[in-house]
Order: sequence, then structure tokens, then C-alpha cells
Amino acid sequence: MVRLVFLGKLGDAAPANLSEVALPGEVKTLSDLRDWVGRTAPLLGRAIAATQTRIVLNQTVAHDMSACVRDGDEIAFLPPMSGG
Amino acid sequence: MIVRVTPDAFDPQAEIASFIAGRDDAGALASFVGYCRAATDGAVVSELSIDHYPGFTEHEITRLADEIHRRFGCLDLLVIHRVGKIAPGQAIVLVAALATHRGEAFDTVRILMDYLKTDAPLWKKETGPAGARWIEPRPEDHARRAVAGKEVA
Repeated sequence: MVRLVFLGKLGDAAPANLSEVALPGEVKTLSDLRDWVGRTAPLLGRAIAATQTRIVLNQTVAHDMSACVRDGDEIAFLPPMSGG
Repeated sequence: MIVRVTPDAFDPQAEIASFIAGRDDAGALASFVGYCRAATDGAVVSELSIDHYPGFTEHEITRLADEIHRRFGCLDLLVIHRVGKIAPGQAIVLVAALATHRGEAFDTVRILMDYLKTDAPLWKKETGPAGARWIEPRPEDHARRAVAGKEVA
């Protein structure tokens, strides 16, 4: 199982059943995961693709989309930020 | 340096008074307070909601504050940012810098605010009579961040 977190407007587009998921065997990397999310929840996939989304793996910004996704990981999808 | 991300309303004047209490080493205090407006571009705002990523948001704001704190050599820095639901008139963010001279204090506050606008993991959503909308960073926010980045480099 992995934990998925969708922030900001991505949270509005994310189905509730996508927060804790057992990933199929073919999902091995962050890139695979992003594609799988797009297939599983097309509305969310389009929202992720339409904006500059950053991915955070276990609380660290992921720069390499070929990084492996492992059981127990937490992966967050961050749209452009608007603090201050 | 104090960084606080909180769902609770805060009183900026009381926070500043507490921050500077007992300090006689500083010759300057500069501060900025951002407030929730009751209207944006003529549209009524009944509520502002700020989403955050617990743990990561605190870590990133601390990292940004620490970078600017060290770069501009201020004596101490206070950052408080609200998350969750915020009513018009309430403070959203407070940045206060204590420094030996005014230049470091002004620079620290201005540049940290420019960083927070685009780099702090926070997402604002305004709700009004016409519904809710997520706030995106404006082109001028990115422009100011680019200038600030050059000053920090």
C-alpha cells in the first residue's frame, strides 16, 4: 500500500478512494504512478497534466521521475503554490 | 528564528511585542502583515481557506526563512502563517525581522515575502457568493520572486 496526497485544487479532483492504494505490479516508478493516476482518475489526471505539478516522495521533492515507488511510501502531488 | 504554521487566529501586535521583548541588541525591527481581504477585484470574499501539507509545509518555510535569515544577516526572524479557514480582516501571515540596522531588516522581510508567495507549500481558496476558486500565483508574484532570487544569490 502507498499513501497518495493531492494538495490544493488537485484535492478537489481526487476521488476519496485514492488516498491509500495497493498499486498494480507494473507501477514501479514515480512516472508509472503519475500515468496510473491519470488512467484511474481521468479528471484528476487532466488536472495534474494541466498545471506544473511537483511530486514529493516521503516529504522530499522528487527531481527524478524514474525514482522507485515502494510499499509504505507517501507520494504527494503539489500544484503551483499561493502562500503569503 | 521562530516559524509557526497554525490553524489558530493570531494577534500580530502581540506576537511582535513578545518577539522583541527583552532584546536590546537590535537597532531595527521591520515587519509585514498580510490580511484576508473582504473582496478581490470587486468580488466579495466570505472566507479564505488555505490548504497545506503537514510536515512538508513547515519544513519548507523553515528552509526558506533560514536561507534568507543567513543571507541578510538579521539577528532574529519570526514567521507565522495561518492555514485552514480564515475570515476577512484576520491576519494570514506575519514576517518580522530584528537587525542591527534597517537595511537588513527591510531586505529580510521583503525578500522572504516574495519567496513565500510562490515557494511556500500553501494553496489559497477564496469562497464568495459566486462559489469557490483556487488562487494561482500572479505573473507579478513570479516576477518579484525572480528579482528576489537574484538578490539572494
